[in-house]
Amino acid sequence: MIRTNTIRLLAASALVMSLSACVSVTSAPAGPYKVGTAQVTLGHEWSDISAIMFARPAKVRLLSMDGPLLNRLYVTDGLAPGEFMVKPMAKERPTPTYRSGMAPTELVEFVTDSVAALDYQRVETDNLRPAKVGSADGLRFDLKAKTKEGLDISGAAQVAEVGGKLYVVLYIAPSEHYYAAELPEVETVLGSVKVG
Amino acid sequence: MPRVLRPRAKGLALLAAAVLAAAPAGAQPRAPHLRPAETSDEGGIWALSEKAELAARQSSERNRDPALNAYVTGVVAKLAPEYQGDIRVYVMDRPFFNAQMAPNGYGEVWSGLLLRVQSEDELAFVLGHEVGHFAENHSIESFRTLKARLGATMALQFAVAAVAMGAAVNAGSTQGANDIMRAAGALNDLLYLGQLAAYFGYSRENEVEADGLGFKRAVAAGYDPAAGATLWRALIAETGASSFKRVRDQEARANIFSTHPVSADRVKALDDLAAKTPTKARATDRKAYRAVIRPHLAAWLKDDLRRRDYGQSLALIDRLAAEGEDQGLLTFYRAEAYRQRRGEGDLDLARKAYAQAGTYPDAPIAAWRSLGDLALQAGDRPAAKSAYETYLARAPQAQDRWLVEASLKKLSEGSAT
Amino acid sequence: MSVFRSVAITACLFLAACTTTNTGLADKSPTKPASGAKILIVQPDIELGLLTVTGLQEARADWSTDARANIKRELEEAATAKSHVFRSLDPTTVEDPRALQLLRLHEAVGNSIRGFNYGLYSLPTKKSFDWTLGTGTQTLAQTYDADYALFTYGRGAYSSGGRKAAMVGAALLGVSMPMAQQYAFTSLVDLKTGKVVWFNVAVAGTDSDMRSPEGAETFAKALLKDAPL
Repeated sequence: MIRTNTIRLLAASALVMSLSACVSVTSAPAGPYKVGTAQVTLGHEWSDISAIMFARPAKVRLLSMDGPLLNRLYVTDGLAPGEFMVKPMAKERPTPTYRSGMAPTELVEFVTDSVAALDYQRVETDNLRPAKVGSADGLRFDLKAKTKEGLDISGAAQVAEVGGKLYVVLYIAPSEHYYAAELPEVETVLGSVKVG
Repeated sequence: MPRVLRPRAKGLALLAAAVLAAAPAGAQPRAPHLRPAETSDEGGIWALSEKAELAARQSSERNRDPALNAYVTGVVAKLAPEYQGDIRVYVMDRPFFNAQMAPNGYGEVWSGLLLRVQSEDELAFVLGHEVGHFAENHSIESFRTLKARLGATMALQFAVAAVAMGAAVNAGSTQGANDIMRAAGALNDLLYLGQLAAYFGYSRENEVEADGLGFKRAVAAGYDPAAGATLWRALIAETGASSFKRVRDQEARANIFSTHPVSADRVKALDDLAAKTPTKARATDRKAYRAVIRPHLAAWLKDDLRRRDYGQSLALIDRLAAEGEDQGLLTFYRAEAYRQRRGEGDLDLARKAYAQAGTYPDAPIAAWRSLGDLALQAGDRPAAKSAYETYLARAPQAQDRWLVEASLKKLSEGSAT
Repeated sequence: MSVFRSVAITACLFLAACTTTNTGLADKSPTKPASGAKILIVQPDIELGLLTVTGLQEARADWSTDARANIKRELEEAATAKSHVFRSLDPTTVEDPRALQLLRLHEAVGNSIRGFNYGLYSLPTKKSFDWTLGTGTQTLAQTYDADYALFTYGRGAYSSGGRKAAMVGAALLGVSMPMAQQYAFTSLVDLKTGKVVWFNVAVAGTDSDMRSPEGAETFAKALLKDAPL
């Protein structure tokens, strides 16, 4: 038991490390940024740290200014039913899955549970409001959470279903200084989502 | 504190009975108010434990309800009067069955455990088990055993385990190291975590011995002798109800209590002990215990659903509902489990359960919103309308009021045409 | 075995990247704190252990305690020598929620600096050393009556006896910590602006054993190299 567990975990950590050795962080310059069929417009340059993030499905991209501990901007391509924002580590540890026919509050729950699956604690939503994503009706809401260590985190999220697929933009950063510092830029990004 | 990895030998079958029969003899229990020398290996682990304790104290997962913490501390005090002032227990909101006690007397009890014990007697047994590890200094023992046994090959394996610890830095974590930064951060303290894990890597003998010690302490404090076996049985049953074949097949090694693998032998050994103990215990008071955890029941059930093992969650909810209390809340979470599982026929089951929850006074208000959503989806427009209206009447300030109003508007337009 | 090898190789990479002694400066010619500036010295977070022949790491509370005390004393003396006033802060005693948030944020910023200025990657959006905690640090300035805060984070192990640990195990352990080596990070934060004005990493040589007062003095000197104090 110890052996298989260890090897499996070792493989996982080796993966993290070997990933780290051969991939790199790239620049995402100001202007249009495409993720599959989704596109946002960045007001300034971001670092695309997707390649160094673990448990990230191919349809999810991750941008940051100061590294993932200080700000994260997730932009997804359209998630089809059965797909997720956070890749499960094992079959027995599933992560939230997008399903067709989800009620609006279930879409919010999908995002908050995904944030919890990223190891943030005590995730709560606030200020749920309507949003326009292109010509589609979407939802916009704010988040509050904590890291395990107890650092307060704030977030802003927007979801929209277009053509049976879910498009998510999610911004999370420490409430102290970092969240507010990039919020104006993030508001612009949220307003710029184009699908298809 | 990670306890994911532990060396386990095979063929432990008869061990449980044997060790329990031999009774907890072995070395002398630790003296109260012990403080090891800083230069010793034990002094090292004390320092690390103090650090871990600080992290636990400041953790966002700590449950800060003073009444609940005082209650748990009170039970420990009854079980270990001689260690009064030596033991500090913190309640952590983590949806896994776990309790642990470090050699410096800092302990954690997780919400997943408090949700699964059904009475103070069961809690007393499992806390007594931890006090047993503490009193016998099992953590130091297991570290020294490891050290003595450690050859070059073992060193490698241990090192590997230490690395692996980075990938699963918390036994209770649903995601472990989910990204490179977290892994990098964890790497800095890997060795220390690895060492702590070694300290907590109790042998099977230690576990069985602690069962016996927990039993003795609990019974001495006047608790029900049958409680330990009852609790272990319930845990085994819940493992068998898992949605995942691999968890079910592991039988006594379910992920939620991999820290304390429970086997049929351990249950039998406890049964034998209970049979030999004249029952002079008071009747198990499940209602009193429920009253203690009631303020946290909803939050803990919600956390439990985040494990997404709906088979286990439903088994747990059934068990919690057996006393006939908290029916609105429990039926609501049963509905939530069906809705989130979304298997064949689950949405129908969820709809019925939400409706049933609504018949009890303690149903969460969200039951009506979900009922409306599901009724709408099923094409039952009158039921949807009625549920949404009830929801708005009961939660006029809901942040999704505009959404529900929009649905109601569509419904009335629909019925007008 | 390829898994082991890849871990070992990346371990070495990580190790090489981490062991460079390097200073980060927010401003190439920083304005030094005026004489008499109040420096908040945060209790150094130092953990030392014994690396046994078998590759097992044993925490040594006595060494850690000694090193913490020695380094703290050296930092205080360095501040005093530059005619600054120092205050002490033991993070374990902090109860104020905002102060705790700022300490946590410093942890995250410090980890990010280590990850991106001293690690394998650099961020295209971090061309200059412009790390900050934000102006919320003014709360710390008021609460603790200080102009700057100095943080120290040290880890290390000393090998037991003459023998080195098994090679592979050592390489693996080296992922997190160079075998039988000791290193420390320091950062100086301007509490008015929240900026990390200076950051340094030092790897101890044979002459700078933090456990002894003399060694700690040498090590602290290296640690405070180019500090704008």
